[in-house]
Amino acid sequence: MSLFKAREWWSTAVGNNEEFDQGCLCVANVDNSSNDQDKIIVGSYMGFLRIYNPHPIKPGDSMQPEDLLLEVQLRDPILQVEVGKFVSGTELLHLAVLHCKKLCVYAVSGSLGNIEHGNQFQLKRMYEHTLQRTAYNMTYGPFGGIKGRDLICIQSVDGMLMLFEQESYSFGRFLPGFLLPGPLTYSSRTDSFITISSCRQVESYKYEVLAFAKDAETQETEQQKLGSGKRLVVDWVLNIGEQALDICVISVNQLISSVFVLGERNFFCLKDNGQIRFIKKLDCSPSCFLPYAVSGTVVNTLIGNHNSILHIYQDVCLKWAAQLPHIPVAVRVGKLLNLRGMIVTLSDSGHLQCSYLGTDPSLFQAPKVEARDINYEEYDAEMNKLQKIIREARKIKDIVPKSEKNEDLSLGVTILSGLDSVSQATDSEVTAEVVPSTSIKIRVESRQLILIKLSVHVQSPLALTQDKFIFELEPYAPKTLLLSAFLKGNCPPADLEGSALASYSTPTGVPKVVQCKFRLPLQLVCFPAQPSKTASQKLTIDTNKLPISLVTLFPDFADQTEEDQLNALGFQLLAGSRVTLLASKTSQRYRIQSDYLEDLWLITKELTLRLEEHFRKQNCKDFACSFSGPIPLQEYFEIIDHHFELRLNAAKYEQLLSERAIQFRAIERRLLARFKDKTPAPLQHLDTLLEGTYRQVIALADAAEENQTNMFQAFTKLKSATQLVILLISLWQKLSADQVAILEAAFLPLTQDAQELGWEESVDAAVSHLLKTCLSKSSKDHALTLSNQLCIPKDTNRLKKHITVLYDRLAKGGHMSLNTDVDSQQTMIPQGGCATILESDLEERSASQDSPAMFTNHRQLMKQKTKSGLPQYELQEAEKP
Amino acid sequence: MGLEMDPLLHALSYFRRRKFQQCSDLCSQLLEKEPSDQAAWCLKVRALTEMVYVDEIDVDQEGIAEMMLDENAIAQVARPGTSLKVPGTSQGGGPSQAVRPVTQTGRPLTGFVRPSTQGGRPGTIEQAIKTPRTAHTARPMTSASGRYVRLGTASMLTNPDGPFINVSKLNLNSYAEKPKLAKALFEYIFHHENDVKNALDLAAYATQHAQFKDWWWKVQIGKCYYRLGLYREAETQFKSALRQQDMVDTILYLAKVYSRLDQPLTALNVFKQGLDRFPGEVSLICGIARIHEEMNNISAAAECYKDVLKQDNTHVEAIACIGSNHFYSDQPEIALRFYRRLLQMGIYNCQLFNNLGLCCFYAQQYDMILTSFERALSLAESEEEAADVWYNLGHVAVGIGDINLAYQCFKLTLANNNDHSEAYNNLAVLEMQKGRVEQARVFLQTASLIAPHMYEPHFNFAVLSEKVGDLQRSYMAAQKSQEIFQEHVDTQQLINQLKQHFARL
Repeated sequence: MSLFKAREWWSTAVGNNEEFDQGCLCVANVDNSSNDQDKIIVGSYMGFLRIYNPHPIKPGDSMQPEDLLLEVQLRDPILQVEVGKFVSGTELLHLAVLHCKKLCVYAVSGSLGNIEHGNQFQLKRMYEHTLQRTAYNMTYGPFGGIKGRDLICIQSVDGMLMLFEQESYSFGRFLPGFLLPGPLTYSSRTDSFITISSCRQVESYKYEVLAFAKDAETQETEQQKLGSGKRLVVDWVLNIGEQALDICVISVNQLISSVFVLGERNFFCLKDNGQIRFIKKLDCSPSCFLPYAVSGTVVNTLIGNHNSILHIYQDVCLKWAAQLPHIPVAVRVGKLLNLRGMIVTLSDSGHLQCSYLGTDPSLFQAPKVEARDINYEEYDAEMNKLQKIIREARKIKDIVPKSEKNEDLSLGVTILSGLDSVSQATDSEVTAEVVPSTSIKIRVESRQLILIKLSVHVQSPLALTQDKFIFELEPYAPKTLLLSAFLKGNCPPADLEGSALASYSTPTGVPKVVQCKFRLPLQLVCFPAQPSKTASQKLTIDTNKLPISLVTLFPDFADQTEEDQLNALGFQLLAGSRVTLLASKTSQRYRIQSDYLEDLWLITKELTLRLEEHFRKQNCKDFACSFSGPIPLQEYFEIIDHHFELRLNAAKYEQLLSERAIQFRAIERRLLARFKDKTPAPLQHLDTLLEGTYRQVIALADAAEENQTNMFQAFTKLKSATQLVILLISLWQKLSADQVAILEAAFLPLTQDAQELGWEESVDAAVSHLLKTCLSKSSKDHALTLSNQLCIPKDTNRLKKHITVLYDRLAKGGHMSLNTDVDSQQTMIPQGGCATILESDLEERSASQDSPAMFTNHRQLMKQKTKSGLPQYELQEAEKP
Repeated sequence: MGLEMDPLLHALSYFRRRKFQQCSDLCSQLLEKEPSDQAAWCLKVRALTEMVYVDEIDVDQEGIAEMMLDENAIAQVARPGTSLKVPGTSQGGGPSQAVRPVTQTGRPLTGFVRPSTQGGRPGTIEQAIKTPRTAHTARPMTSASGRYVRLGTASMLTNPDGPFINVSKLNLNSYAEKPKLAKALFEYIFHHENDVKNALDLAAYATQHAQFKDWWWKVQIGKCYYRLGLYREAETQFKSALRQQDMVDTILYLAKVYSRLDQPLTALNVFKQGLDRFPGEVSLICGIARIHEEMNNISAAAECYKDVLKQDNTHVEAIACIGSNHFYSDQPEIALRFYRRLLQMGIYNCQLFNNLGLCCFYAQQYDMILTSFERALSLAESEEEAADVWYNLGHVAVGIGDINLAYQCFKLTLANNNDHSEAYNNLAVLEMQKGRVEQARVFLQTASLIAPHMYEPHFNFAVLSEKVGDLQRSYMAAQKSQEIFQEHVDTQQLINQLKQHFARL
């Protein structure tokens, strides 16, 4: 991140698809011209050598053809270019080019033409050395303190230093403990070579030591095949703990010189003797650096990094940061066109740029969001329209849009009559020998190509062979799916209803849902049996029409061949008890009896449904069932108590489990402390304790699981009984469909029966709300306090009392009206929903600091409220018109 | 085109330019030809490591298991100002909770998200498990299941034929004798394979082999110990390494150990000693600032961040923190300048525009508010970010008195992020103004459930209950509010008022 960008003075793209690296850039007065101007020398891995002398007319100009002084293709990749006094007998600068297997030294000379573009430059090879080993990099300098000459030292990939005394090869030495080559430099003040080895150490070797280790090497003179085997003695070593990218030695004056090392994560400055002067931890991976002395005493360092930013440090203090257009692999400073201190950077794809620092901000131009003319009238109209929609939506509180007549997707479910000949039931827990199954056929047709997710749901303990389908539907090609339903759990279901739900997105991206309900046949859960005369639970349903033969009502259960006026029919519920249905011969009554109240429900419901259907077929409009009462509340309460007891058990188990778990963790912690201890102490049977606690935890968990299964069965029974009671109440008091819906909503909450929010407390809350609002008789009813937090009650007495009161009120002709009920439903839902949603993520949001704002304001709002109620009323009034 | 280059040379060049995939490919070719080529092997190991390298200093994931089975805390009940665990022991007198919102653990929000700011330290494991979480804030239950595993296995995908080195089959002792291979191998095992135990074995052999003279190995052993939760052992290793060689990284590691041991003052000392050795090192000053910030000593933190800027004026964290500090100390104009500087430096994201918009609002530069938020909305990458922008827009709407707009904005916030407790709270206030008490109550309850650390919902609930005459509930809620934020004057007044009421009865 930088505020400023490097101001471009001149730039060009070097070559085409060529590769460049660290050594490929050199800035020097290579042609020894009199005006002391530096030239830019660039070599590439493709073997091209180019020399530039930029002279733009104004800053930012692109390259002129005559800026390129020379372009030659050499036969080998160029690893490094350096300029120095490489030729004996002259102090003129020459160009050394390092190839993989070759070192060449050239003289660059220019001959002036008549006009500027007539200038010619030539490359003249002075000498070359063929290398036996693949070179990696080189350094040069007045080794051994020679005046006016530069010697060259080449490091090979396998760790040999090869020294060349200009035209002749002097000697080669292997570096000890070598693995991969690192950067290499020469320090003239100490006359030593400094490199970073694979051991992540900065190592310094004296030139003399290198030279004197010569004795073993006698036979090789011209052939530098093998260096001496004698181990070199290191002058000093500094462990920096990381690999380095580059190294450089800068002498500020005669007394002080510093070694600068650019590591992969830190930037080091060392003294001559290998002590650390300072370290600077870098935030971003650096790519190249260049220290240079300014004004005699201070050393500044240019560090380019992989975020394309050039940092300029004075010691550890950041002086400047400038944005570059590329990631630099090499950076140099030179005097170009009489401008001192021009920064030359090269990217690995060959973008060469000369730039200077300036306060030209690298202003980031944020893209425009959406530039369109504002038409206020249109906006107003649209705003009004949207406001109206929002207001409507808030009024009806039901944002489901009206379903269109021509749906894109049609979903149909048919239950195949009769049971499957071969049962499809799998993994059923029912103990009967044959668990029947019935086939469900689902037909889907669409008018567009869509991806459909279809899920089919039946209430547990019923189950399906497959309940989720995902497929793509061709337009107008109906698809039929076949699946089977069967009884899985070991108790009769509370509900035979099921639903199929297809969700899809229209091509415009609107998500849509189509739902279809179906009812499974009774045969699925019971089979005909002998009627039994005795039973403890009896219900009598009256009708206002002549009795109908049970054979006509239940053709699938009664045997046709038997006598016509069959008046008793037995049903054996799978995993349940036997239910007997008796039809009176003379009066218009039906009697249902069984040993258990909850088992009556399925048959009763089926009976009323079939009766209604039968009479509807005969176009009999005024058919009505009725029930004379009394409602078997006592038995119903027993079922509630049973369920509640199991819930209490579950709570007990949960508490025990958490206690054991705490104990387990405590033991674990002690054990851990023991094991961590340096001096081992005896365990003192902690392990036995741990084992025992573990067993307890497992046993408790098993018991809790079993309790859960029982609770589920109890809840299913409770649901059956509840539905039966609601049905009976509605028959008894002749309640309208609306009122039945209210009762159902109160007694059958949609939430799952869970430990935190169970059936008892939600029903209690709902019933007491009903009593408080629509069934209230006197003002004192309002005193019925509704506890704010729904939690598991201590006992069921309160609930029973409320249900009894509700029953009494209904018996006295209480009427439940819908308009008040809307509110009651609403308050219920959020309370239930809160229990599970728990989250806070303020920290995540911390970057955006949004919350502060509100809190302050918020308090102001609150203050208003606490001090006086007036502003509030004013607001309300203002809103009314 | 292209002249033949020596492949190892080319691979080295790729490595230097951080083109690790190409480098690793070239090395693989070399190794196919010559399986025992140590140089190529070493280079490939280094390239593979660099691909997944994350600076260990910045990695800080504290799992619940570490927090709960933490045997290292010095004092369970620390004195104020000496622990990171006790929130609200403000020494430096930063803005109060009423002005600057706090995190779940009671520390003020910081201006910059760091790994360690993500979570708090719950008191018991029950509380930890019950701590509200959703998919985007879920913290790993243990460190082994968290981020470390993902860091470690990320590279497996790139190597379909299995891992490059089968660590379990290595003879670590023999590698430890070759220091040049061992260092690269250690980093590979530690960062790439994320196999701390084997890495520790290797480091232990190697340091033995180096006759305990190589500080680097000591730091690595310390890193392994730190990962394994053996903080005291890590501390001795780091200290021993520091005796041999002063390094910035070692100091940072040591301070990290101390702050994990909940000894912030010792950590501060370590940083200060480090600064004596390396004056002006940004990472050390920044470490000091973070510790001050975590200890609620906001003004000292701001001073340190200013020192950071003196050394490195492009330090984003420092600019952001100073900016947010100014914002919360009621100087939105100055905060605006800091955020504008960040924008000029090229940071272009939703959060920044969000902050700019808010600063503009409080600095009364109304012309820029909506454009800033518009940009923030267009830049929002997730629904949570969009929710925050809508929330702030709602706030602006409250400020200019457009209650309808505010209502819709808060609704939109909730549509984007259903867990936005502040929005619930503010909606409740709006509902209260409209006189819909029941609705307001539901919203307030939801808000207090989602964010148990906020006092506002409790206080509002108390006021609401008091208004409708439910004094008992009002008193309870006010007490909860006071529990969270003791110095809140309004709560105290309300409680006094209620107590008078009760006394009169």
